[in-house]
Amino acid sequence: MANIARKQAVQPQGATVREQLRAADDSAVVTAFLGGEERAFSELVERYQTRLLNFIYRTIGDREKAEDLVQEVFIRVYRHLHRFDRSKKFSTWVYTIASNLAKNELRNRSRNPLVLFQTVQKNWQDDDRPLQFEDSTSRPDDMYRKRHLREIVEESVAKLPEHHRNVFILRELEGKSYEEIAEITDCNLGTVKSRLNRARNSFAEIVAPYMD
Amino acid sequence: MDCREFRESHFAFVDDTLPGVELVRMQMHITECESCARHDAAVRRSLMLFRNLPSIQPSAGFSQRLEQRLLDARMADMAAANSGRSRKLAATVAVTSVVILGYIGVSLREVDYPRDIVFPPVVASAPSSGATQIDSPAPEMVVAVPAGLPIWTAALYAEQTAVYFASADLTATAR
Repeated sequence: MANIARKQAVQPQGATVREQLRAADDSAVVTAFLGGEERAFSELVERYQTRLLNFIYRTIGDREKAEDLVQEVFIRVYRHLHRFDRSKKFSTWVYTIASNLAKNELRNRSRNPLVLFQTVQKNWQDDDRPLQFEDSTSRPDDMYRKRHLREIVEESVAKLPEHHRNVFILRELEGKSYEEIAEITDCNLGTVKSRLNRARNSFAEIVAPYMD
Repeated sequence: MDCREFRESHFAFVDDTLPGVELVRMQMHITECESCARHDAAVRRSLMLFRNLPSIQPSAGFSQRLEQRLLDARMADMAAANSGRSRKLAATVAVTSVVILGYIGVSLREVDYPRDIVFPPVVASAPSSGATQIDSPAPEMVVAVPAGLPIWTAALYAEQTAVYFASADLTATAR
């Protein structure tokens, strides 16, 4: 009986901690984790897993590998969080790790010419793809057009040079500021702006013929 | 504003980060230049397409796999820490052993262990041949006594033992 009473007393407390963590900003969650609160790490995973997955996937174009790399990001965060400079933004640090891993993956691929971005994308089964872009009430030919357009957009991003693509995704998909992008990609502000401008122009040029 | 200037500042125009005056100049250029207006529209439309790409979600087993990998990482870290600790211990034992052996070695060199007794060199002279001439009036007595006996017993024996003198005449007299 005493145990049950204790459990009932603990559960609401656990729920409260989770709610507090959910309401806290990244810095507070990191502090909680470093203070021994293991649930804080789950909160960080919850916050970043989808964002990082999309960022890495758009950069390397392979969903399975992207998931592996996101997991690798979290393992590194778990191991090295005590070394993180808390005067800086946690999100910038996480994206820096993710960006470096994605870059390494692309570098490894370029050494192995058998695995190409386009090949990976074509091998990806249509059934596995999320369908949020489509409206089930649409007519089949509309759905086809939308899916086709999405493929074109994805392929167009893949055609951008790696360093342009990275900056482009961080800005357009993740909404990072120029300064944050400069920190994540380890470039100066001028380079970021120039790359972003070029990436946007190239992307528009590649996509333009399909939009009319 | 010319087209080159417009293209260079276009990213800031799209991001709406230009100062007011610049913004107005860019807007005016669009109204005047059809090519730049087309470019601006193309960039904005393509960006809209990209930004509206569907977000992908982690697969069903993602969390479980992550948990497992985190657990593996924790175990690996612990194992590494333990092996590091045992390596340190082994190194400490080895260093201590070397120190102790060294100390023992040095100590042994300083200890006086029994050695062969070395006497100082002696100058010896060869004995002269022939019988010794006895000059003293009292005869010198040579007593053969078995070794290892107390002195008083030896004295008793000495009384009973035949006395030999260096000179044969004296021996005969003594008898």
